[in-house]
Amino acid sequence: MNTPVRTARARTSRLRRISGTASVHAVLLGYTLIAVFPVFLVMMNSFKDRRGIFGEPLSLPHAGTFSLEGYATVLSEGSFATYFGNSLIVTVASLFLILFLGAAAAHALAEYRFRFNALLKIYMIVGIMVPIRLGTVAILKLMVDLNLVNTLLALILVYTAQGLPVAVFILTEFMRTLSRDIKDCARIDGLSEYRIFLEVVLPLIRPVLATVAVFSMIPIWNDLWFPLILASSDATKTVTLGVQQFIGQFTVNWGAVLAALSIAILPVLGLYALFSRQLIAGITSGAVKG
Amino acid sequence: MSDLTLRNVIKSYGSTKVIHGVDLQVRDGEFVVFVGPSGCGKSTLLRMIAGLESITGGEVAIGGEIVNDISPADRGIAMVFQSYALYPHKDVYGNMAFALRHAGVDKAEIDARVQRAADILGLRDLLHRRPKELSGGQRQRVAIGRAIVRDPKIFLFDEPLSNLDAALRVQMRVEILRLHQRLKTTMIYVTHDQVEAMTLADRIVVLHGGRIAQVGTPLELYHHPDSIFVAGFIGSPKMNFLEAALTGWSQEGAHVQVPSLGEIVVPVSRQGGSERETGARLGIRPEHVQLADPATAAMRGEVLVVERLGGETYLHLDVGAADPFVVKTDGAVSARSGEHVGLAFPPHALHLFSASGAAFPHRERHRTLAEPQGA
Ligand SMILES: Nc1ncnc2c1ncn2[C@@H]1O[C@H](COP(=O)(O)OP(=O)(O)OP(=O)(O)O)[C@@H](O)[C@H]1O
Ligand SMILES: [Mg+2]
Repeated sequence: MNTPVRTARARTSRLRRISGTASVHAVLLGYTLIAVFPVFLVMMNSFKDRRGIFGEPLSLPHAGTFSLEGYATVLSEGSFATYFGNSLIVTVASLFLILFLGAAAAHALAEYRFRFNALLKIYMIVGIMVPIRLGTVAILKLMVDLNLVNTLLALILVYTAQGLPVAVFILTEFMRTLSRDIKDCARIDGLSEYRIFLEVVLPLIRPVLATVAVFSMIPIWNDLWFPLILASSDATKTVTLGVQQFIGQFTVNWGAVLAALSIAILPVLGLYALFSRQLIAGITSGAVKG
Repeated sequence: MSDLTLRNVIKSYGSTKVIHGVDLQVRDGEFVVFVGPSGCGKSTLLRMIAGLESITGGEVAIGGEIVNDISPADRGIAMVFQSYALYPHKDVYGNMAFALRHAGVDKAEIDARVQRAADILGLRDLLHRRPKELSGGQRQRVAIGRAIVRDPKIFLFDEPLSNLDAALRVQMRVEILRLHQRLKTTMIYVTHDQVEAMTLADRIVVLHGGRIAQVGTPLELYHHPDSIFVAGFIGSPKMNFLEAALTGWSQEGAHVQVPSLGEIVVPVSRQGGSERETGARLGIRPEHVQLADPATAAMRGEVLVVERLGGETYLHLDVGAADPFVVKTDGAVSARSGEHVGLAFPPHALHLFSASGAAFPHRERHRTLAEPQGA
């Protein structure tokens, strides 16, 4: 049975498999390094004094360069907690609205036949293609008229509008693949259309909602443009805007900037961890045949 | 009372009409099966009864009450879907209890009903599993359990077994039959598997292109198909058809000329057939054909293919017609491809169809035909 020829062949095939796996891992590792390196650099340098940052930017902090002065500046700056809170409120509220309204709209577009269904879908796609910043002037005028300038609500509304088209588009495509039978079954079980959406459809699309949440969240958290234009008052500044105060016209407090950015990464990481658990859950399996 | 009446039921999607006026009366406690080829409107009709599809025209009445404008939940029906349609985020118990909880039934009552359904279906040990932890057969059982729990006036099944493998399908078929005997509830069952239709139904409704082709007991449809469509659809393997020419009528029946067979007399009556009609088709089921001595047999054919199923053997013969002529014979038959065999068939097993596809009725009802043919 186990002739020498066969074992030799088995060995080469195993080698080939190992080298295949290794090359895949090499590519992934390389990509990870490229992606993580700037973040790592920011975090590392946030623990150095000014001299350390400029003198040896690529070396780890050591006794000579270690300093928490950046963090001290940021945390002693009283309003920084407010900026942080503002960013969180805006991001979470916008995300909630994007997900809930997006899912509701997608459900309607995927489930019901009505006259303007196709037209609405095209309208959404146009919304994806036209960047919302083109409308900045009009948005500003509108917010002035509505008396919403320098409120967080202004930001929440704008971000919701910005995130909705893509969310609706992706969720609609996904909802089309949901089994019609399960919704019909709920209808026979006596659920109203609203409760079918809330109790049957939403649980089924949790993994996709998490996906949409992850990539809607980052641009909102990182945005500088709309906070600058719509909500630059001290009470409504977001973190990205707040960091700007350390960037003066002539001097930049790099320690503080890097420390503020490092802290700003944490909540996003937290939210990401929250959503990615959902991503992996893969709850749909077993719902229908298969 | 849980009888069901369809009166001139019509369904259109936009300008395309898919159900063309269906009339049907289903008695209380009856097991009715809808069969027909894919796309003939079986599911659409069932979904209209369920209230999931609006009714374009006509009336649907359950227990004497017209339900056209009543919501699915209030029609007193329960439906089992081909894809099971279980709620994936609820366990078996939760799935079965869902409708009752929603209807505000009290806890003890829900529990009693769920336990009873679980007993009937052998789901007791699975009550706290999620659907994804169940096999296909178990999932379908849960779906049926969910229907039982609601204690409906009418059960609706849309191809409930077609996702299961062959062995499980046979087993579940028997379970559904026993369920019907036990509950004695009206059941409407959609399938395109004619074995399921024959074995389950009290009456079969054959649908064809959105119309009822024929309604009757399984044996009525088998022995007295109204049309060439029903004749070809019911029975497996399919009935053989031969082109024939009507040459005249006599006391014994129709005289027809069949190219490979010569002139024969088919004991049917002329009812409905026109005086001048000459084109016709002769039908004979594979199981009603007998092998005979080629020297004296009425018809001969060359064996093309031999299919041995063990207990029986199907011979596909070339008899000079366009399609192979199939004969069902004994498992031990020695025929080999290339061989010539002779064929004989009792005249009363012959079916004759007019050129338009309508059947000439047999002179005697199927009592004589139902007797064993020794096929
Ligand atoms: N939403 C719809 N819009 C337009 N036509 C439809 C729609 N749903 C079904 N049809 C048409 O109605 C006809 C009947 O469909 P139905 O699903 O009832 O067939 P069926 O007999 O259940 O077939 P199958 O055995 O394949 O399930 C088909 O020709 C189908 O194309
Ligand atoms: Mg169907």
